Amino acid sequence: MTEKNLNDADVIIGRKHRSLWGDAWQRLISSNTARLGLVIVAIFVISAVFAHFFWEYDPRIDLDYSLKLKPPNLSPTEEIPSIHPFGTDKLGRDIFRRVVHGGWNSMRVGLVAVGISLLIGGMLGLLAGFYESMPVGRVGLVFLFALVGLGLGLFPAWLADQTFQAVLFAALGAVSVLAEPPRKAGAIPQVNRRRVLIFAGVGLVLGGGPALLVSPYTAIGCGLSGLIIGGILALPLGGVFISSIIMRVMDIILAFPAYLLAIAILAFLGPGLDRAMIAIGFVGIPIYARLVRSTVLSLTQEAYVLASQATGAGHARILFRHILPNTLSPVIVQATMGLASAIIWAGALGFLGLGAIPPEPEWGAMLGDSYRFLTSGAWWAVLFPGLAIMLSVLGFNLLGDGLRDALDPRLTR
Amino acid sequence: MTGYIIRRIVSLIPTILGVTIVIFMLVRLIPGDPAVAMLGEHAAQDNVERIREQLGLNRPVFLDREALGRGDVGSFFDSQYARYLTRLFQGDMGNSIHRRIPIADELKRRFPATIELAFLSMLFAIVVGLPVGILSAARHNSPLDNISMILSLVGVSMPIFWLGLMEIMLFAVFLKWLPVGGRLDHAIQVETITNLIVLDSLLTGNWTAMWDALKHLAMPALALGTIPTAIIARMTRASMLDVLQSDYIRTAHAKGLREIVVLYRHALKNAFLPIITTIGIQMGHLLAGAVLTETIFAWPGIGKWGLYDAIVGRDYPIVQGATLLIALVIVFINLLVDLSYAFLDPRIHYE
Repeated sequence: MTEKNLNDADVIIGRKHRSLWGDAWQRLISSNTARLGLVIVAIFVISAVFAHFFWEYDPRIDLDYSLKLKPPNLSPTEEIPSIHPFGTDKLGRDIFRRVVHGGWNSMRVGLVAVGISLLIGGMLGLLAGFYESMPVGRVGLVFLFALVGLGLGLFPAWLADQTFQAVLFAALGAVSVLAEPPRKAGAIPQVNRRRVLIFAGVGLVLGGGPALLVSPYTAIGCGLSGLIIGGILALPLGGVFISSIIMRVMDIILAFPAYLLAIAILAFLGPGLDRAMIAIGFVGIPIYARLVRSTVLSLTQEAYVLASQATGAGHARILFRHILPNTLSPVIVQATMGLASAIIWAGALGFLGLGAIPPEPEWGAMLGDSYRFLTSGAWWAVLFPGLAIMLSVLGFNLLGDGLRDALDPRLTR
Repeated sequence: MTGYIIRRIVSLIPTILGVTIVIFMLVRLIPGDPAVAMLGEHAAQDNVERIREQLGLNRPVFLDREALGRGDVGSFFDSQYARYLTRLFQGDMGNSIHRRIPIADELKRRFPATIELAFLSMLFAIVVGLPVGILSAARHNSPLDNISMILSLVGVSMPIFWLGLMEIMLFAVFLKWLPVGGRLDHAIQVETITNLIVLDSLLTGNWTAMWDALKHLAMPALALGTIPTAIIARMTRASMLDVLQSDYIRTAHAKGLREIVVLYRHALKNAFLPIITTIGIQMGHLLAGAVLTETIFAWPGIGKWGLYDAIVGRDYPIVQGATLLIALVIVFINLLVDLSYAFLDPRIHYE
């Protein structure tokens, strides 16, 4: 009996200590497909970084008409003295070199675009999820109501062309919170009819009064909108209100065809790789917002969060100590997959001529440059850049799949 | 049920209105004046002004605050947006700025091409993706399962514009089996009834035209169908795996039912809800996301014309018309998907 217990203890002590992330890493590299993904991603990242720093390439002077559209050759011939493993394109440029250098641009677009979506979408999702399930403090409420007042007040302010009207309504929002006794935690807020009437009246005066300086008709318009805004500001709005505003905006973005949105943004900003990053990043925002919100919503119901609340921990502590670290693993998985789709997006926009600007090597733009020569038989100019897109995307997708299995042990079958 | 459908349709009105407002703002945020785009950079200023007035571009976008200041309440609401909405309710989607032809006519010609392509792609995706997913689930962790899941991951990773180009290379340039692009050979005439060429030629018994149309459809449909195929296969597998673990499946097996009956009659029915949701979402993507496929195969649909050429050319009415149509169809598909839940699963009731 004692001997056995000793052995158990030995086993427990002898077992190498592994952290959560170490454990996940072990699971990740024990899966064949994840290893394959890791290798593909590593090859692309290393070759792109290496090419960018150690293999000089100036696309502006790379031009040799004598080598126009030559098929791949692995040994020098009389006709083609140089080696072009992937052939040459319509300007006689070595496609291998451009594919390797294009990797840097694709990875850059992917990383920055995912960074933009993640940062903005993640923050919005965090806010929405957190305030949907946590009571908003008094300071937060003042801030919220002032913001709502400011936002809604922009309409009468625009109508009368008097900017300060928006500020007046922001102040009205703040007053609405301060004039109210602090809300009891857990109590369902009730609509107070008298309060709504009083604030609607004040709104009428705030909107219509200053607008009288412009014209009586404007005053009627501003007064009516002020009446409605005042009424809204008297309602007991809370965290659910913040959340639903954020999520409705996300829904609107999601409702649009992503291509339309990306093309419209690029039409607005003008073509270019940096602009493509912004467009792709913007289109991705709702995905992260929804993901983070739903994760946070389920986390706030966990026992350890409730316990932390019960011991009197502040919002910031709960958010940063308990919630944020636990949203990381779904976000990491989504971001890896997001990198894959951002690379496809960069290629698609480049293909349409909205991404990288011509001499710059980028896989999609290279395809767009040469696909017209396909019918005359120049298959190599199309095959290799596309293969690069597909393989790198596949690598990130394999890695993302593996990460999902590794980071969520409950999912493993 | 009927009440539910009517309520759902009514609740779509604010969504659609919201879409028109956002799209209106979006196209007007894009720098560049359609009048200048029409007349060229060096047009005389008064010509530009005249065109702007003709197109109604001199009016404010949503509301005219100066008219209100003057007490002119009628012109207060007389904005570009209000004019657009009024015309829309009269069935007039406006004219193309560049080509001066009614957009409704152009949509009538182009939208069937998009529908035809999307429908065939989806048919391909369902016919291939569904059985592959079911088989993978039934033979969980077998070589077949592993291979099909790796292939589906390759499918999801495929830049479809490149896949389309590779198809052209193989089937049109090297093997010369299929035409490079377009919808129908110029030499072939089809009587137009619905503008869906396959259907029209079927109705009129024009077999040469039907064969030619199908040959033109094959490559773009395959390219466009790849991603939905992969996604449907993965979704079907996941959903079937869930269902196959339940007790009633074990009972069905224990009764000695043939596996095909267990899989298709018992399991698939309960696994179908997430699959139909996926199919609906993918159908929306197919209708809206065919910009690149249409570019590569010179397909005369609404994707490239309405979402790319029109934005780049600042042809506002086209962008508005095409987007509104796409949004309407997507919303309609979502409605159909929701209604199909009740049909597929009698436990779901809509009041």
